[in-house]
Amino acid sequence: MGYEWQFAIILEYWPIFARGAITTLQITLLSSAIGLFIGLLVGVSRESSGIFIRSVTSVYVEMIRATPALVQIVWLYYCFPIIFGYQLSAMTSIIIALGIHSGAYVSEIVRAGINAVDTGQFLAAKSIGMNHFTALRRIILPQAGQKMIPPLINEFANLMKLTTLGSMIAVYELLQESNNLIATTYRPLEVYTFLAIFFFIITYPWIWLSQRLERRLKMRA
Amino acid sequence: MLRITNLGKSYGSARVLSGIDLDVQAHDVVAIIGPSGSGKSTLLKCINFLERYDEGEVRFGDELVGYVEADGQRRLATERQTNRLRAEMGMVFQNFNLFPHMTTLQNVIEGPIQVKGVARDEAVRHAEQLLAKVGLADKRDVRPTKLSGGQQQRAAIARALAMRPRLMLFDEPTSALDPELVGEVLTAMRELAAEGMTMVIVTHEMSFARDVASRVVFMEGGRIVEEGPPGKIFTNPDNARTRAFLARVLH
Repeated sequence: MGYEWQFAIILEYWPIFARGAITTLQITLLSSAIGLFIGLLVGVSRESSGIFIRSVTSVYVEMIRATPALVQIVWLYYCFPIIFGYQLSAMTSIIIALGIHSGAYVSEIVRAGINAVDTGQFLAAKSIGMNHFTALRRIILPQAGQKMIPPLINEFANLMKLTTLGSMIAVYELLQESNNLIATTYRPLEVYTFLAIFFFIITYPWIWLSQRLERRLKMRA
Repeated sequence: MLRITNLGKSYGSARVLSGIDLDVQAHDVVAIIGPSGSGKSTLLKCINFLERYDEGEVRFGDELVGYVEADGQRRLATERQTNRLRAEMGMVFQNFNLFPHMTTLQNVIEGPIQVKGVARDEAVRHAEQLLAKVGLADKRDVRPTKLSGGQQQRAAIARALAMRPRLMLFDEPTSALDPELVGEVLTAMRELAAEGMTMVIVTHEMSFARDVASRVVFMEGGRIVEEGPPGKIFTNPDNARTRAFLARVLH
């Protein structure tokens, strides 16, 4: 098969990739921040609080984990405006949808982190009269935090890849920009191959870092 | 100071404590001895409500621990109420349970600052006195993981004392230690007793109980079998089961 690769085309259109990469990065960072915020709140609530908060947060986590991220995104973009009468922009939709999506996974990471802390720590904190919230903030979470970092970095890398779902609602992230480029250049092989390599380059370092930190934590334990 | 009346506790259908009556006066040093699984540690944890009891009552000073009574009914006390009482009782655990992400000094000042709202300078000053008292003045900026077991337990005693408790609870404080490190912890406890601190100690150290305790309580099967001054319990106990237990551990 004598296909003639013409990667020069990538160089020629580099500003388009740069633009897409910036959008991808924005989505990743903002949805990570939302996911971290939701995940911390939900993770902590699922470990404590009353039965009401526990069940509400459980329903959230299970619903998100049992539905595809893509369905969550299109639902927020197409159905939410019809039901609630407020149209979010495509960019806002994907950021919020991925934030809510990742929040469920982050909350499980937080919960696992809290559970991994020796129960004696809770007893010691209580024995000096600390309330539950202070014990979490001062004693438990700082110790759980260390254990949570590798899986959180991994989750960040996951989000980076999930941003491509934005192309389904016409968010101009990397995949959408690539599709448009292909429509004008008719060079899908070069563009998609470059896209795959590009994602590997921006995602793999995080996965590597996460594995490394996890190994180091294991060795210290 | 502490009055336990008809205390009972079950885990499901398993009864772990029944009919416990115990009075502790100020400056008493009460040693609780008995075979493992006899409910000693559970009883100790009921005193500061780290374990919830189902029957009877624990009164610290005049206050019921863990519950509030209204119109003959009782319901669980709020976290704030229970914590206020806990702050006045120090507890030392078998496994030390120091906070590993803090230095020794930070461990000691954490309670006073976070729970009692003591000013940092004052908390540090008091902590330094306490660390000097347990022989750890030079370890103030060291993480607990760098300390020996005996040093960790002494740091844990300092942490508990930092709250200026009226009562100290010790849950097998030397059971997790290598034999050569037991002495230094017992010495620190002996000094505390000599200063007049009220103490309840669950222990397997019979000679310590004999020397330091003002009263010894022997438990078996979730009940108090016998209690009395150490001179009597260790030389001439009334109960055959006490005698059998002591014969086993002393020889």
